[in-house]
Amino acid sequence: MAEDKQLMIGVHDVSMRFRMEEDHSGSLKETFTKLFSGGLKFKDFYALHDVSFDVYKGDVLGIIGRNGAGKSTILKIISGIMKPTKGDVERHGNIVPMLELGSGFDMDLSGRENIFLNGAILGYEKKFLYEKYDEILDFSELHEFIDMPLRNYSSGMIMRLAFSIATVVEPEILIVDEILAVGDENFQRKSRKRMMELMGGGTTVLFVSHDMNQIREMCNRVVWLDGGTVRLQGPMQEICDQYKL
Amino acid sequence: MTKVDLKGIRKYTLLVYALIVLLLTVGAWERFTEISLGGLNFIFVYFGIVLIVLGLILLYFFSALKKDAEGKSIFGMQFMQTIHRYRFLIEQLVSRDFKVKYKRSVLGVFWSFLNPLLMMIVQYIVFSHLLGIRGNVEHYAIYLLCGIVMWNGFNDCSTQSMRSITSNAALITKVYVPKYIYPLTKVFSASINILLSMIPLLLVTFVYGLFSTPHLYISKAVLLLPFGLVFMIVFCMGMGFFLSSLMVFFHDIEFLWGFVSTLWMYATPIIYSLSMFEEKAAWLVKLMQFNPLYHYISFVRTIILEGTSPAFSEYGICILFSAGIFTIGFLMFKKVQDKFILYL
Repeated sequence: MAEDKQLMIGVHDVSMRFRMEEDHSGSLKETFTKLFSGGLKFKDFYALHDVSFDVYKGDVLGIIGRNGAGKSTILKIISGIMKPTKGDVERHGNIVPMLELGSGFDMDLSGRENIFLNGAILGYEKKFLYEKYDEILDFSELHEFIDMPLRNYSSGMIMRLAFSIATVVEPEILIVDEILAVGDENFQRKSRKRMMELMGGGTTVLFVSHDMNQIREMCNRVVWLDGGTVRLQGPMQEICDQYKL
Repeated sequence: MTKVDLKGIRKYTLLVYALIVLLLTVGAWERFTEISLGGLNFIFVYFGIVLIVLGLILLYFFSALKKDAEGKSIFGMQFMQTIHRYRFLIEQLVSRDFKVKYKRSVLGVFWSFLNPLLMMIVQYIVFSHLLGIRGNVEHYAIYLLCGIVMWNGFNDCSTQSMRSITSNAALITKVYVPKYIYPLTKVFSASINILLSMIPLLLVTFVYGLFSTPHLYISKAVLLLPFGLVFMIVFCMGMGFFLSSLMVFFHDIEFLWGFVSTLWMYATPIIYSLSMFEEKAAWLVKLMQFNPLYHYISFVRTIILEGTSPAFSEYGICILFSAGIFTIGFLMFKKVQDKFILYL
């Protein structure tokens, strides 16, 4: 199938260097005094080092590796939040990052107002949001609370609202940091089902998880990051069999 | 992503241009007629310029449409594309700021009117009656109110936008949005307050003018007020870019700015008049020419207190300051914005 080979994301030789000041001062005075006394020292730390991989249309790519291997950093670079020190990322199609749900919520606004605010932050269009408003509300099951300010919500309710907003789109590229199962048992089942629908619906998915069962269940390709470099990449079965911490 | 509707933008650009020309022509008509260039009335030159600019706008959109049809992009297209794409977000962020600001107060938006009024009453009593600073200023109450309203607007804009990046840290590290949107929206939402505070200013001027001797009337020059405000708002955007990017690296800026802005306030003729220093310290008057806020405030004062358009050189100076600070601020912001995430 020719369509399968359509490049969605191309990561080319991406390196990410963090400069760690020996002790992060963050104050003008300290920086200046250190600058003059020559005490401003940096320690370079490479979170990613020459990482390259391609993602094609319809792929569900799992990214695995131990803590600090650079999984979250590569997701942030692909979603454009961070700019790599070296290398570049090619993107074809709209990306919806589900890195942390509800980070744009404002506690003083009502649920209704937050649906529009958060939707706008995720890059939805006005018309689209008005059309999908009922669908979001139905999925979140928050009908009677929707005009209350968010600060009166329980944390489970906030997560339900956030999940409902984030998954109402069918994005071309979905970036997920750990599978999201939120709320009570009933809602967890519902949200898991919704995630599966999204992933199964021809969407290209980038997916970070520590749960190897989930990786085996959903991914067709896997990238194994280790210490900021690609240790191995290839078809799911092959990599998963070799993967051990 | 939907495509930019160039024809729609052309319509809006032309409408805005027509409005600008209309306001300027009606508001500053006397100024135009009093200048003559070698026997030729300036008004002809003015209409010539208006037509030439109109031609340039039409030409730009003509070539933009042509290039667009060929699939190429033209200078400014990318900018329009981002604005178009993030228009809804900007709208939402501005309305969030505005709603949150007054959400938990009983009087709500009314505070935008009440605040400058209360401030004016206090300062009027202190400076005029207790300290006797009014000097030889006619209509001192209105003189003071103009200054306070403009200064508060500037102070609000710059302080809000200074915090825009650090206070949105949670968002910036999670979702990609062009970062300049944050200081811009803060300036927009603070600007709504500036616009709202024009209402009590004009209202007080109207009532005061009826009872004062000599009377003070609001003339048609008031149509020029938007120019002064826009100049200052653009200046605030530049300051916002500058301060918010500095703030990411040095949190001290927040405290430093509190001091600098107070200093700046006293260095600007808000409560006092520059005419008090004309003999005592002429250098101060000269130095004041480099204070952008002095120009914005006197722009508004000329309109309200003298009922005429400011001299055209004042427009030039204001535009120069606004464009200059905006450009410097934006370039600096652009240069360091990729590093924000490492420091948030």
